[in-house]
Amino acid sequence: MIVFAAFLLTVPWTIPALINDFWVSVIAEILIWSLFAASTNLLFGYVGLLSFGQALFFGFGMYGVGIGIDQLGLSFWPAFGLGVAAAMAMALVSGIFAVRLTWHYFAIITVVFSLIFYFLAVSMKWLTGGDDGINFTLPPTFSFGATQWSFADPNFQYFFILAAVALCFYLMHLVIGSPLGKAFMAVRENDVRASLIGLNVYLLRLTAFVMAGFLAGVAGALFAFFGRYASATYMFYHVSGEGLVWTIVGGAGTLFGPIVGTTLFIIIREVVSTHWEHHSLIVGTMAILVVIFAPKGLVGLWRDILDRAMAPRAERAVSTEVRTEP
Amino acid sequence: MSDPVLRTENLTKRFGGLTATDNLSLSLRGGRLQAVIGPNGAGKTTFFNLISGLLKPDSGRVFFRDRDITGLRPHEISRLGIKRTMQIKSVFNQISVMENLWITRQASQRFLHPFRPASRDRATRERVEQVLEQIGMTALAHRIAGTLSYGDVAMLEIGMALISEPKLLLLDEPICGMSPAETERAVAKIRELARQVDIVIIEHDMEVVFGLADDITVLAQGAILATGSPEEISNHERVREAYLGRPEDEDYLEEAADA
Repeated sequence: MIVFAAFLLTVPWTIPALINDFWVSVIAEILIWSLFAASTNLLFGYVGLLSFGQALFFGFGMYGVGIGIDQLGLSFWPAFGLGVAAAMAMALVSGIFAVRLTWHYFAIITVVFSLIFYFLAVSMKWLTGGDDGINFTLPPTFSFGATQWSFADPNFQYFFILAAVALCFYLMHLVIGSPLGKAFMAVRENDVRASLIGLNVYLLRLTAFVMAGFLAGVAGALFAFFGRYASATYMFYHVSGEGLVWTIVGGAGTLFGPIVGTTLFIIIREVVSTHWEHHSLIVGTMAILVVIFAPKGLVGLWRDILDRAMAPRAERAVSTEVRTEP
Repeated sequence: MSDPVLRTENLTKRFGGLTATDNLSLSLRGGRLQAVIGPNGAGKTTFFNLISGLLKPDSGRVFFRDRDITGLRPHEISRLGIKRTMQIKSVFNQISVMENLWITRQASQRFLHPFRPASRDRATRERVEQVLEQIGMTALAHRIAGTLSYGDVAMLEIGMALISEPKLLLLDEPICGMSPAETERAVAKIRELARQVDIVIIEHDMEVVFGLADDITVLAQGAILATGSPEEISNHERVREAYLGRPEDEDYLEEAADA
């Protein structure tokens, strides 16, 4: 854990020394997409809602920033706020309808919402730039008199993204351990029982949906600043599906699962795609293997191995018995 | 004391062509352990589902201590203090016994704190430990609920119903599937609970019902066949005819229901 944190904090110096500058921005990208996967994970792993619509909120985060800067002339922070607020508002509106449903019906309605807004974004050229998207010039993040910090400085960009993503993960960590997070898990485990103990299942699902919208919105806003553009491509439900695969392979229902899954697949993509265009075959194969052999994802598998190594021999039989139960 | 804790007026629920409860008007007095019995398909569980809000009646009303609760949602009814267990045991399977109780206790709070650690709540911890002891599951506190024996799950479910100081407890076949030893433990527990809280119990095991209940209501085909003390019921001609005179075999019971 400490090693991992130390690594992340020294990336701008160690990575160029070990590989090259390009990988610093790959790592920044991994951080952003991990946050996106975390939003899928909050819904699927903790509340039991399989969402294919998180890309919609990612896209709203991006467009909030893009439109804010390009058309409204906002500076960095108001544009950031607009992106996140737009994502959360969209999550609230679509959530009001979507969380009435569960399982495949819920999955389908999230796809439908995604598609509707994808096609709207593509067709509303005057606002969104259509297929070309919006390219904008970066405003400075902080400026004190003559000194300015902006994403133009790769180190600043990296640390800003790291701080924002770390903060979001910390918030998620707090929520998961709180009474609210426990109530989310109750809804995931058994929604009928949850309602019988006095939990408002609908309101809890909606709350989680808006929180997930927040995470996806922050990820989208960061990605807009990172890429200096906003585009409808990232709103397509295919992007949501990728987030879902990263989450499931990494370990749904664990805080760090999405980071593990995202890191793995983005590294595979970056390394393999230069040599072989069918790199998604590897992704697909790995996803299938993990789902079959490690249903709790790589983090779950790792924990099982640790438990088994730690458990004294006598208890081993018991602990494996416990784990095989559904 | 003689005020009814639970009252229904002309309660009707149909599933397609099947009338599960048929114009059911009954009044259950508080302070007494009430049992609802009847052959399979008599509408007992539907009756519980209508009270706890899992189903909405086609017509009729439900009153809890003279308050109209018809059409309220399950969590609203639960917050009024009506807690229930399910015929098919229903707990949170993938988390520990302790967490099951913990969540249930915290669920009764109006506001669920989003950022403070749940485990820091000392009042909840004390109450959870108290209930663990009360249901005799302290030793199993850290077991994952899904790995418990059937009888222990049933006991946990009763603990979950108890932990938020209910005003009315609806137990749907609490001892179904229990071993004789577990049954004995559960019956003793229910009898003890009945001194603190109003209980309505649905049960198939006649020995248990007649040993526990102060009042018995017999349902058949969604309507009341008879009400009375255990003695009155066991001497009631139509009940005997429809139900008790035969061996306690499921097939016979079903035949009796169809007759």
